[in-house]
Amino acid sequence: MSRLEAKKPSLFISDPLTKDTVSQSLSLLNRILKSCYGPAGRLKQLHNGVGGYVCITSQSSAILGRLSVSHPVLKVLTTSVQNHVARFSDCGLFTAILCCSLIENFKSLHVPSCTVIKISKDLLSLCTDYLKSEACGCRVSVDFSNLKTLLCLVRSILTSKPACMLNATEVEHLTMLIVKAFMFTIPCHVETKAVLGKCVTIPVKGRRVLDSTVLPGLLIETPEIQFAKLLSVKRISSDTIKIAVFCVSMSGDLFNPEEGMITVHHGVSLEMSELNQLLNVGKQLVNDEVGLVVCQKVIHPSLKQYLKENQVMVVDRAGLSVMEPLSQMTGSKPIASTHSFSPSCYGSLKDVCTKSFGSKHFVHLIPNDTVVCSLVLCNRNETTWDELKRACETAEHVLQLTIKEPVALLGGGCTESHLASYIRYKTCSLSTSSFKDADYSQTQYQLIADAFCCSLESVACSLSHDDKILTDTVYGHHWLVPSGFPSVSNWSDLLSKCGCGINSNTQNLNWRLLRPHFGSPTLQSCPKEPSVKTADVLTLDCFAAKYSGLQVAVETANLILDLKCIIEDQN
Amino acid sequence: MSPRMRPTLPAAMAVAAAGRLAEEAAAMAGAVRGALGPRGGRALVLRPDGRPLLTRDGRRLLEALCLQPPTARAMAAAACRYRGATGDGAKTFVLLLAALLRGLRAAGGAGRALPDFQRTVLEPAAALGLRRHLLSAFPAGEAERRVDLAALEALLDAYLHGRAGPGERPRLARLCCEFLARCAACSPPALRLLGRHFGALHAAVPGLPLHGSTVLPGVLLRRDFAAYSPSSGAVGAVLVTEPLHAALSAAGVELVVGSEGQYEAARRWCEARTEAVVKRLRSSNVKLLLSSVKQHDAVVYYAKLHGVSLVECLSSEEVDLIRELTGVSPYSPSGDHGCGEITDTAVATFCRPLLLGSNRYVHIGFASSTCAFQPHCLVLCGPVDGVNEQHAAAIQGAFTMLQQLFKTVDGREEWGSKGESQNDASDACSRHSSATQKQFTIENAYCNRNQVSEHLLKTHRGETETQIVDSTLKGSENPAGMQTALQTPSNPASHSEELSVPCKGAGSSRDAQETQAKCQCSGEMHKGYESDLPVDNLKNYSTAVLTTDNTNTVTVCENLDVGKDLEKASCGRIPFKPEEGCVSTAQKYSSSVIEAGSVLPVGGYFEILLHYYIQYYAKQLQQSAVTVISSVVADALLIIPKSLYGTTEGNSFAKFYLNTTNALRKNQPLPVNEKGLESVYCKYQLVISVLHCVTELLNIDLIIGVKRPLQKIEDNDSDDDF
Repeated sequence: MSRLEAKKPSLFISDPLTKDTVSQSLSLLNRILKSCYGPAGRLKQLHNGVGGYVCITSQSSAILGRLSVSHPVLKVLTTSVQNHVARFSDCGLFTAILCCSLIENFKSLHVPSCTVIKISKDLLSLCTDYLKSEACGCRVSVDFSNLKTLLCLVRSILTSKPACMLNATEVEHLTMLIVKAFMFTIPCHVETKAVLGKCVTIPVKGRRVLDSTVLPGLLIETPEIQFAKLLSVKRISSDTIKIAVFCVSMSGDLFNPEEGMITVHHGVSLEMSELNQLLNVGKQLVNDEVGLVVCQKVIHPSLKQYLKENQVMVVDRAGLSVMEPLSQMTGSKPIASTHSFSPSCYGSLKDVCTKSFGSKHFVHLIPNDTVVCSLVLCNRNETTWDELKRACETAEHVLQLTIKEPVALLGGGCTESHLASYIRYKTCSLSTSSFKDADYSQTQYQLIADAFCCSLESVACSLSHDDKILTDTVYGHHWLVPSGFPSVSNWSDLLSKCGCGINSNTQNLNWRLLRPHFGSPTLQSCPKEPSVKTADVLTLDCFAAKYSGLQVAVETANLILDLKCIIEDQN
Repeated sequence: MSPRMRPTLPAAMAVAAAGRLAEEAAAMAGAVRGALGPRGGRALVLRPDGRPLLTRDGRRLLEALCLQPPTARAMAAAACRYRGATGDGAKTFVLLLAALLRGLRAAGGAGRALPDFQRTVLEPAAALGLRRHLLSAFPAGEAERRVDLAALEALLDAYLHGRAGPGERPRLARLCCEFLARCAACSPPALRLLGRHFGALHAAVPGLPLHGSTVLPGVLLRRDFAAYSPSSGAVGAVLVTEPLHAALSAAGVELVVGSEGQYEAARRWCEARTEAVVKRLRSSNVKLLLSSVKQHDAVVYYAKLHGVSLVECLSSEEVDLIRELTGVSPYSPSGDHGCGEITDTAVATFCRPLLLGSNRYVHIGFASSTCAFQPHCLVLCGPVDGVNEQHAAAIQGAFTMLQQLFKTVDGREEWGSKGESQNDASDACSRHSSATQKQFTIENAYCNRNQVSEHLLKTHRGETETQIVDSTLKGSENPAGMQTALQTPSNPASHSEELSVPCKGAGSSRDAQETQAKCQCSGEMHKGYESDLPVDNLKNYSTAVLTTDNTNTVTVCENLDVGKDLEKASCGRIPFKPEEGCVSTAQKYSSSVIEAGSVLPVGGYFEILLHYYIQYYAKQLQQSAVTVISSVVADALLIIPKSLYGTTEGNSFAKFYLNTTNALRKNQPLPVNEKGLESVYCKYQLVISVLHCVTELLNIDLIIGVKRPLQKIEDNDSDDDF
């Protein structure tokens, strides 16, 4: 009979946000994240003190994934940001910094949390409605017939990851590759529902970034010995090779995962029977004029030998990850039987050749319809390669999100400061009558709107770590003054372009210093939409990621402000 | 345990125990108070495995506290039990319990009169006082019981006020409403089905804003297709719960292989059989296989080859849901002989893969054949899993809460029998007679020795014989309670007066009935709205009380005789109105304290009303113990509005209290600002459960610690065998 162990009572902490530990760790986290933000962000080296792997990064996904956050309130925040990154890949730091700033700013107001939450929800819907509207002054539509905006989008992502250690030429090279790879994955013949193909990243470490390349089709790594033995392949015609894909083991082992017993009489060899069956399969393949056999698992050496003798190329141990793109690319159905299979399972390839990058050898399967491509990604060392891979994945994901919703937001802090100007203008122009039915006062509303705008501006300000930051009063954009210049009244001498690069210093735009503090002057009119929307080099952000990140940041901040107590189970 | 054996505590000990209980309950109330009401916040619960849970659910909070004192655990368990049954109110339970225990301690341990209080004050207060203010969530003039959509929204909004954050509530309430409306689940069976299968009818996506949440038609299965062949239009679907591929040998079966050829043939047969099964399914137009087990690779292969989609490893919950929705039973290849068409198939209007967040789902549309229920599923988005869990739990709780709406609080059995017998005589009388039945039974026990009441009994005996037997039995069972309840002889008189007037009118005068019948026919009668009712009834009631206060038992008899005249007089004074009141309530009143579908505006109105009417009905009594308890309970009830309004700026409770009670005194409609509604059944059950819990706690005199886990009695038999 088991004894009952008394459970320890839980630890009850009321009003956790008023505790110093929370404020301190929150502001520390905010400082860490702010210093990483943007192209001029500082890198963070993460290691565990015992040795081993070192990560040098400035990306939220890498930092938050490795940082052990002890306080439960902060854990909610970081989990929320990580979830956002898992969905959108981009704008993780934006979400995290905005969320931290919102919590800090709202907390300092001493307004009841339910009022804060209601008003900030209102302000959020003001923002989202504006961003979704056609009249929005900080979004540009993406034209897929012109590569320029796509290149801008990818370039902005690569330049905002300084830990990749790329110079301008390398950025341009990779930008081209990523856009090219993305173009490969768009199917040529769209039926009812378009499904994007896949871009498989092949890691090659210790090579120059400029050696990176994109190839249509799949690269399957093979051992060197096998590589040397690859012979000419049987072809149906000059540009068609028949391919059979197996997803069962062809090793000839007796597979008997089921329960129960099999008794074998003396002199009967089941292994022989299995091998005979495999050779029968081989015969059928040869008869069907299959040129290439790919097996997810192991192929028996005898069968391999037999197939090679008959000019059938064999690739085994391909692994599960290859199977889906392979069947997508060739139109073949993975065969799960060594007894009977119909010729309808075969697929076709345009060509097969061999490639080697560095010390690695690959079989290159070239399809007729290129929905699958391989990005051979090179970088100097493992740490920078990891960072670059994260950046490339982000860029690929952003392009996929953009094709669904072909708009982008102005980057370089311009969206944030523009949005803040818009909110300030909107909330100022509210009449007192609109507060009649609400259970909060106009003063409270103004206070919270101000804190909301300050949080947005503080995200924009964290893009620069030394420079002075200005905003103009016409477009509400974000301008940087290089450090080292004194504060002068005539800013136009020092400025050339705004953060996103859409506005140049052609007219006097009434600049003022942007400091995220309360009570900034409001605009006399609604911030305008830039007159020209076509500059050659624009900094652009992913619309979907930023749109969702903004909402997630506000919702998470509200969630944390709403916390009345923490109950910690001590068992 | 029979009431007779209930251990009684010495008064001093009882007070000490009440003190300790009050302290424990106060500590628990302090822990949950922060999460109460629309202005409450949420709690972050860190589970033992470190995962954070966000919640405002009182049950989760109480469970997470891991309370140590045994009585506190008992209180938490009672609160959780109540919450489990009604879907709401664990926090309110604890607050009320704490307030009640505090009040009882201050009153010096008068807890033993609680059962009497419930009978003599609480039930009349609810049945007579409260019901005038009740609204109905059911659409008027429909025989079928289903919740009105507007009322549904108001109920959900109010419910989610206490369960979700202020920024999330409106969106969540709309979603939940849309979900219920599209599922066509406004009746108890559909709500039960939803509540039972909500786990399989919703999916959560972390990392997206709540705004992304949506309602999708059909069912989402938390699996990816093992094989998927796109098809347009409706397809046949078959449920499978066993492997389709035959194994060479199974557990306990031995396969003897005599030759290589034999082995080869056996393997070949297995594969051929699997292919035949898939082919046969395909020829019966089955294009979707739903399997609860993992199928052999060969099955996946042949399914792909023949254009059949396959979903494997369904959870038992999902299988149950599919079976319930479609009414199909699992297909078994060994069960039939491989001939004929497979008929037991479900129809899937569509089936496609769906990517939600990073998880792949199978999205199937089922045309529900078994009931009006239209399966839909809810996709909840939130920044973190904890929020989604909170929202899902809140919505599931809302289904439980809505089910309570269809329940009634029944009167005690003798109420029912009395009501029926009276209904035969006159509908108009049932209201008075049922309401005072409680007093009447007490009185019967007493009246055996009272000559006048004997006389009164005789007048009734013809009609209510069985019921008197009942009440006498009850009297002999519980003599102690009777004695405490009956302290002054003037009490029964006043009740008998109140009771006898209508009974007499009903039993002896056909004229009165006829006038009532006429009233019913007259169009004017329908003018009597609920707001008018209290005036007339209360007047009627109070005149009756006034007369008996000054009379002795003999005048009761006189009153009995002139009962008809009295009624006529009252009719004359305010023409039609008393009848209107009586008739219109009697139509609704079918021997239940609280009707199905009764709702009240949210925001402490129930508590204020009950507070008011408990005081009102307690004034009629002159039993000290019950009066003390009444005032304790009445005051304790105020803790809820106090906590709700105490968190606003400037503490508006005093204002709210004054406004409401003034309106009640003047018989004006209540000043209601809230749009939300709450189920009166739940609220009333809460008060009853708290009273039971207090009674139970106050009757514990010794706590015995045991080292072994306590077993339920049913389990003992089987455990002894080991």
